[in-house]
Amino acid sequence: MWKPTLLLFLALAATAQQSPQALVQDAMNRQKAGDLEGAVKGYREFLKIDPKATPIRSNLGAALAGLGRFDEAIVEYKKVLRDAPSSTSTRLNLALAYYKMGRVADAATELSRVHREAPTNQQATLLLADCYLRMDQNKDVISILEPVEKTDPENLAVAYLLGTALIRDKQVEKGQVLVDRILRNGESAEAHLMLGTAKFGVADFAGARDEFAKAIALNPNLPEVHMLYAQTLSVTGSPEESMKEFKAELAVDPYNFQSNLQIGAMLRKDQNYGEAKKYLERALQTRPGDLGVRYQVAAIEISEGKFDQARAHLESIVKESPEFTEAHVSLSIAYFRLKRPEDGKREREIVEKLTAEAQAKQPGVKSQ
Amino acid sequence: MNLTRRRWLWLAAASGLAAGTSHLWSQSADAVPPLFVDIPPSKSGISWVHDNAFSQDHYLPETLGPGCAFLDFDNDGWMDIFLVNSGPSDFWKPTKPVRNALYKNNRDGTFTDVTEKAGLSGTQFGMGVAVGDYDNDGWPDIFVTAYGKCTLYKNNHNGTFTDVTENAGVATLGWTTSAVWVDYDNDGRLDLFVCSFVDYSGEHKFGCGDNKLGKRYYCIPRVFKPTASFLYHNNGDGTFTEVSTGTDIAKAMGKGLGVVATDINNDGRTDLFVANDTVQNFLFVNRGPGPNGGWKWDEIGLQSGVGFSESGQPRSGMGVDASDLFGSGWQDLFVANVDHEMFSVYQNNKDETFQDVASANEVARSTRLLSGWGLKYFDYDNDGVIDLFLANGHPDDMIGGYSMQVTYKEPLLLFHQGSDHKLHDVSDKAGPIFHQDFAARGLAVGDYDNDGAMDVLIGINGDRPLLLQNNAAKGNNWLGIKLEGVQCNRDAVGARIDWSILGKKKSCLKSNGGSYLSSHDPRVVLGLGDATKIDQLEIHWPAPSKQVDKLTNVAANRYLRIVEGKGVV
Repeated sequence: MWKPTLLLFLALAATAQQSPQALVQDAMNRQKAGDLEGAVKGYREFLKIDPKATPIRSNLGAALAGLGRFDEAIVEYKKVLRDAPSSTSTRLNLALAYYKMGRVADAATELSRVHREAPTNQQATLLLADCYLRMDQNKDVISILEPVEKTDPENLAVAYLLGTALIRDKQVEKGQVLVDRILRNGESAEAHLMLGTAKFGVADFAGARDEFAKAIALNPNLPEVHMLYAQTLSVTGSPEESMKEFKAELAVDPYNFQSNLQIGAMLRKDQNYGEAKKYLERALQTRPGDLGVRYQVAAIEISEGKFDQARAHLESIVKESPEFTEAHVSLSIAYFRLKRPEDGKREREIVEKLTAEAQAKQPGVKSQ
Repeated sequence: MNLTRRRWLWLAAASGLAAGTSHLWSQSADAVPPLFVDIPPSKSGISWVHDNAFSQDHYLPETLGPGCAFLDFDNDGWMDIFLVNSGPSDFWKPTKPVRNALYKNNRDGTFTDVTEKAGLSGTQFGMGVAVGDYDNDGWPDIFVTAYGKCTLYKNNHNGTFTDVTENAGVATLGWTTSAVWVDYDNDGRLDLFVCSFVDYSGEHKFGCGDNKLGKRYYCIPRVFKPTASFLYHNNGDGTFTEVSTGTDIAKAMGKGLGVVATDINNDGRTDLFVANDTVQNFLFVNRGPGPNGGWKWDEIGLQSGVGFSESGQPRSGMGVDASDLFGSGWQDLFVANVDHEMFSVYQNNKDETFQDVASANEVARSTRLLSGWGLKYFDYDNDGVIDLFLANGHPDDMIGGYSMQVTYKEPLLLFHQGSDHKLHDVSDKAGPIFHQDFAARGLAVGDYDNDGAMDVLIGINGDRPLLLQNNAAKGNNWLGIKLEGVQCNRDAVGARIDWSILGKKKSCLKSNGGSYLSSHDPRVVLGLGDATKIDQLEIHWPAPSKQVDKLTNVAANRYLRIVEGKGVV
């Protein structure tokens, strides 16, 4: 998917060993030949001479991304965009780097801008739809893909993404039309994944599990298929198999958020705190600041007796999300263990208040 | 017919096909007697069947019973059986007679129904039973909880009982579930704690509409208002006074289903652990006399770590128990929850906090898809360490119609504690009864045949009870003890038994209650393994005397009656 912007560039400066032109040409040749480390070295040498050469910096970003060094690539892409904010190709590459890191929200931000500036760019549109799907923003997927589907009804990628979003949005009949379209083209992993998603949505977990298993058999590299299969295995009572499938998802996409979070949570329950933290940290890289992950980390800290660390994390969580009852429960425990009973009682009262509020909304209470 | 893996293994073993599947199955079924054997009504004489009052409207009380008890109501040294039934209520008028049952033990493995003579038929929609000698006369009395009104039956010493509810002041209206007799103030008389479930008092019983099958279903208790439980102080004159007002017990609004009375901090005062459905569990720690002549209870469920799951969420607690599971000298706790919540094994950290170690004990894995009610920590094979028995069943009779994994009727589970000090699920190897499914609710343990091996009685919703004879303890030695308090409460609830064999010391606390809606054999059976005697046995009687009776070189395999201050009599 990488599309480095390979532009000819004539540098003005020169070095003792090699002219700037030769340096750039050599780096580009190395990049084309797959010697990405060599290309990175060449581009960096050149950029020392001319730090403002944005096309070369963009090439450097592409080479770094090709090496999986996404953090560094993002730094370079951002520098390019500071000088050339309208560079759609660089923004697309930046979005791809975020996407590859699992930073789906950041990728979506960049892609929505590309989509606005270049609405006919199908790659950006499909990637944006995929990001929205991963963020459970199903209505956004539908909004950007319905027009595309009307003009290009045979595009199976569009049918897949749109159909999945429709099913998740409880528009099952409309989604089923797209599933049928995919099925007409023969049995496919995508169709089974969509069917599985539909069944999962109506709590037919065993049915969903079987569909995801078929999808994996047809295409084990389909994004998120192992993660979804793992989720169904978890609720149908096969924790070991579930763990195996979450790990299989991570073999395909090491930054898959749900897989890292779920493995972390499962390992925490097994009291394997060291391993759990590794996965949760990866999940946090994907979604920095995610409250659910931060809560898991804090819960581990309580189990490990690191009450003051847990307290600090939980205080920040409840500040951001004052109605996060579970976090108040854990914060109360942390305070009590830190011999701060008054703070513990205060948090416990918040738990009681939130619980009472939730109870008051129950239908059986109102009817009496 | 779909066969579960366990069922398949059992059938295969029974037909000799499963050679090599496991150690037990490598032999023929005849050569390996089941650990527990179902004694059918045709053999036991227990023909009573629970009427759950099932209706298409699905009123929630229909699915919660029944409780059951082992008790020796006639003091002949043999455990009798009491079974609780439903009855008339504001949503159900029975069209045929519905009654509780008292079965007298004939001492030959059979029982005789003596309910009518005893006067225990009941008039309420019964739920659970708590047996205790509240008047210290040496004869067990019976307290029956209900949807409607509780009933206290005083034992007349002649095979009959008298309903003394109103005079005693323990009528307790509403919806009560488990109850426990406990001498919380150590005055030598048993007091009474009664769990209250939800407020189900609406004139028109609330229905949760139709489920995915288009039918009315049993509401999840989350939708109903919580209520406070009750603590009755025994006045010593046959009457009781409700004393929870102003304490944490009255403030704690719960949906209580299970309670166990134990001492979680070894301070000599009995605490109360209450399992609640869909709201946090309560741990009421007994702090002794409070201001203005009252009593001080601290509810520490949250901070102790037993109130919520480790993810900070309330679960659907039903059955509970307490025991020194890991031999630390401190009481560990247990809570059974509904499917996908997993059950909790709470290890005592010795500082009024607990850690859930269910995952490390195979309990989490085995209970992931089950809903648990009656249960008991006990040494079923008398090898000297505590094991665990669980009775399960989903409350929703239609769950199988829309869940591919969870079923209404569920298997029993048996866990054995290994030399690694962990509970291991041995249900597969425990006998055919563990390969059947039941709508199990209450569970009581008791040695009805006096062979030193604790048998199990299980109340089944809408069906006959299960009487399971224990064959697992054969080959191991034991000592049975009936404690009789003189200054302390007659049942000696709160007594501690210490014993040693070849220098190895052990200890057990006589807690009370636990399980769900049920009451156990009051005797204590100590598993001795291959030891033929106990070198030293100490009974630490609870306050007010706190005296210690010591015995040495106590021979195994018999029941002893030990009286406070007198020793063996």
